Amino acid sequence: MPQKKKIKVAKGTDLLTAAVKCGIVLNAVCGGEGLCGKCKVIVADRKVLACETIIESDLDVTIPKQSLSEHSASIGNSEEFTKGVVLEKEKAHPFSPLVRKFYLEMKAPTADESSSDFERIVDELARRVNNLSLTTKLANVKHLGEIIRDSDFKVTATVGYKDDSVEILSIEPGNTVSSNYGFAFDIGTTTVVGQLIDLDKNKILGTRIAFNKQASFGADIITRIIYASNAGGLKILNDAVLENINEIIEDLCASAKVRLSDLNVVNFAGNMTMMHLLLKIDPSNIRKAPYIPATTVFPAVSLSEVSIEGNPKGMASFLPGVTTYVGGDIVSGVLASGLAESDELQLLIDIGTNGEIVLGNKDWMMGTAASAGPAFEGSGLSCGMKAVGGAIQKIAITKSLDVKLDVIGGGKPRGICGSGYIDLLCQMFKNGIIDRNGKIKRALKTDRIRKTDTGYEFVVDKGIVISEDDIENLKRSKGAIYSAIIALLNKVEKNITEVKRVYIAGGFGNYLNIENAVFIGLLPDIDRDIYRFVGNTSLAGARISLSSHEAFLKTFRIHKNITYLDLSSEPGYMDEYVASLFFPHTDLGRFPSVRL
Amino acid sequence: MALSGLDIYKLLPKTNCKDCGFATCLAFAMALAQKKVPLDKCPHVTAQAREALESASQPPIKLVVIGNGENRVEIGNETVMYRHEQKFFHPAAIGFLIEDTLNEDDVAKKVSEINALKFERVGQALGADLICIKNSSRSKDKFLNVVRKVASSSKHNIALSSADGAAVSEALKNLKDRKPLIICEEASALDDFIKHAKENGASLAITCSNIDEAAQATDKARKQGVEEIVINISGKGAADRIHDFTYMRRSALKKNFRPLGYPVMAFAESTDPHLELCEAISYVSKYAGLVIVKNTKKEFVFPLIVARQDIYQDPQKPVQVEPKIYEIGKVTNQSPVLVTTNFSITYFTVAGEVESSKVPSRIICCDAEGMSVLTAWAAEKFTAEKIADTLKKSGIESMVSHKRIVIPGYVSVLSGKLEEVSGWKVAVGPREASGIPNYLRGLK
Repeated sequence: MPQKKKIKVAKGTDLLTAAVKCGIVLNAVCGGEGLCGKCKVIVADRKVLACETIIESDLDVTIPKQSLSEHSASIGNSEEFTKGVVLEKEKAHPFSPLVRKFYLEMKAPTADESSSDFERIVDELARRVNNLSLTTKLANVKHLGEIIRDSDFKVTATVGYKDDSVEILSIEPGNTVSSNYGFAFDIGTTTVVGQLIDLDKNKILGTRIAFNKQASFGADIITRIIYASNAGGLKILNDAVLENINEIIEDLCASAKVRLSDLNVVNFAGNMTMMHLLLKIDPSNIRKAPYIPATTVFPAVSLSEVSIEGNPKGMASFLPGVTTYVGGDIVSGVLASGLAESDELQLLIDIGTNGEIVLGNKDWMMGTAASAGPAFEGSGLSCGMKAVGGAIQKIAITKSLDVKLDVIGGGKPRGICGSGYIDLLCQMFKNGIIDRNGKIKRALKTDRIRKTDTGYEFVVDKGIVISEDDIENLKRSKGAIYSAIIALLNKVEKNITEVKRVYIAGGFGNYLNIENAVFIGLLPDIDRDIYRFVGNTSLAGARISLSSHEAFLKTFRIHKNITYLDLSSEPGYMDEYVASLFFPHTDLGRFPSVRL
Repeated sequence: MALSGLDIYKLLPKTNCKDCGFATCLAFAMALAQKKVPLDKCPHVTAQAREALESASQPPIKLVVIGNGENRVEIGNETVMYRHEQKFFHPAAIGFLIEDTLNEDDVAKKVSEINALKFERVGQALGADLICIKNSSRSKDKFLNVVRKVASSSKHNIALSSADGAAVSEALKNLKDRKPLIICEEASALDDFIKHAKENGASLAITCSNIDEAAQATDKARKQGVEEIVINISGKGAADRIHDFTYMRRSALKKNFRPLGYPVMAFAESTDPHLELCEAISYVSKYAGLVIVKNTKKEFVFPLIVARQDIYQDPQKPVQVEPKIYEIGKVTNQSPVLVTTNFSITYFTVAGEVESSKVPSRIICCDAEGMSVLTAWAAEKFTAEKIADTLKKSGIESMVSHKRIVIPGYVSVLSGKLEEVSGWKVAVGPREASGIPNYLRGLK
């Protein structure tokens, strides 16, 4: 692949690390252990594993297409990742950004009116802001005398609102109120999404998505936590995600013509492990029973402290999480969906690597995480991929077993993404290609069904198949999510029919066929009007709480008020789970609308 | 009416102060609804709320303790109809009948037979829980004689069954500190028995012929200050009794109906020993807290005790297989060696596929606390060190002439480290068990 990239690295660096450094993400499912054999590159006409090849001197490397991770679509503009988020509640929060600028015109001191320069600013600010108990850093007052006099006592104070205090972040001469920008980020295990907001005009200036560069060091959280426990591992993972973040910041600021020094605040939502890695907090206990994170709340810090581009004195803030398995991304989703303020019973289902589910209303909330596995993100399946260009996102099968495909971006299909698999399972089931147990019917006379070493497979398109192992995997995922929903409802003795709104969030891109999802038993069989597909609510919540300090404070109430239900110690969950390992379910009475 | 977790939550302070030890008021309310914690754990509950919650925080079925010290048995305090809903807490006690019509030698023989009932199964020591002395002779002296004899020759807990309050009162004097159960056989003697139970700190079983009678009798006993009550339904066939037991359990759990919120007991009445065994197991299955049987032969007692152990097994603990080497087919010193965890479902899946491959192989199950492969790996229970240690201790080295093992495909990341620490050559097998037959056939 012609990347034509050059990079200088220290002698002894391995090729995988060097590739990441210049923005090329190679396949390395095993975390660079030399096991999966997917990071093959060509050096001097020989195929070698990038993770096992140590650089001794200058060299040319050619990367075959199959070694290039689909993640290398690197930064993309992603209207589709925000278009799906139609949230009536978004405008309900007052506009009061986490960082605000105040232009202050003050009188020069006299012998009678002799308060200090800093007090003068605080007094003036107090007239404009309620309940102010202001703090600042020493650096801001060291040269204050000069700044305030040079600008004839006309300055702009940049004020950061934290969860428990208010801080003057910086003081600059003149009126700069109109240039105040912020970023909202969703840090996912697979993707990193950033959104640039004009905090003066309350306007979204652009959105970018990138695949998390940590993926080169392990596809899943556990592998990354293990990687982080190796010497220097935590720093490498931290560098990788910071690179994602800073690239998105630089890219969006450049295209929106925003000076980096006017970027005053970055607000993050992400799962518990991602937050630990972002802040270089040791994550090792997250994977060991009883799965305890170092912290669920993360103090706001300066951007320079966490090596994020922007005004070095600007503020980085983080949404709090609930537990190891219900993180800030879900708190963010609860805020964005408005579930925490609803009178009626609502359900939020975020389908990612884990299926996180929150049930409740303004009085109470209970959340849980189903270990659904990454199947609906296209991971771990023979032809699975993420919802990016080349992925089959819609599938229809006719009675004569013709297959019609809708490929993201058109063109030749490269694989199938989560929404495509949901359609595929539904259509195979509807057309009698698989039975209720998910086994492919051997008796069917068609070229599309083939016998393999491990069972049977169904040919979707040239080079694209779904195997019985894939179906088994997807069946477990859909069963885990459905049974977690039911377990949560059972716990509070509520019936699914009492739920008045169900938000479906997650990485399905822009499309999810609810009808088909019900047909295979992923979602409960209730009135389809109850469902709302809301896309990436983690990003939406980060944006809302960036633009509204009131909303930001609400996330701390949400963090305290969600009761975590641990499914693994929940009696009855296992029965629910096993019962849901059928299409659509063992108990057909629960799916009255599913008729073959 | 039983309150739901949400009903209880509404009565709590909703401050999430964590003083109760739970993360949120809702979590505490849920635990309270399941009777897992007492209300006192919340120091902030208002008097008004306390009143409303008091009944919800009482166990729906009273705990009754028979005996003292480490031999004592606890029955009742169950919270679910079906084991899979959570678990059963207190295994039904098994008691053995000695009638006072037996002569002295026969009593001594019976006691020594009961004392000899000792079994061990899956690491648990099992045996008789109590001896029930029945005043079948209707003679006070005979009864007292047998009670004295049994009390002095056995450490087992004691139940006294009689219609004669005076006889029981007398017998209780010999049983100080043994906290026996007294079984009142006749409704007419109930007042007397209530008095003796109260004075002697004994628990009281009330014999009734139907549920209505039982509800009235327990209410009476409770009002007169007896807390530990057992309901004994008599004069009915086994099917009818199980019907009554089920009905009582349901009213106690689902309706929170206090007068039936006590453990129940039954005498197995069949005379044929096989039928008696079936009858007793039926009672154990359906809600009896205490079953009294006549037969003391080991071959009849063992199945009964095993059945009870199985029924009272905690379903939340993963079922494990013994961590050791399993041989599938006619293995030789050349046969492949596969490593997996000791979660039973994992083992049986792997074993099934190995069998269908028709390639004789050995499977070594590592002790991973009953977790499946990926779960155990993620929780650090299935690590290279652990596997190496298992290999060493299993003695596999002396059984095969090669040093090659196959690990599950999902933990391929362990292979490098494992070769390093174990010295064995590690091959990575398929991820799914369904790939095993093909994999094994392809091995050379």
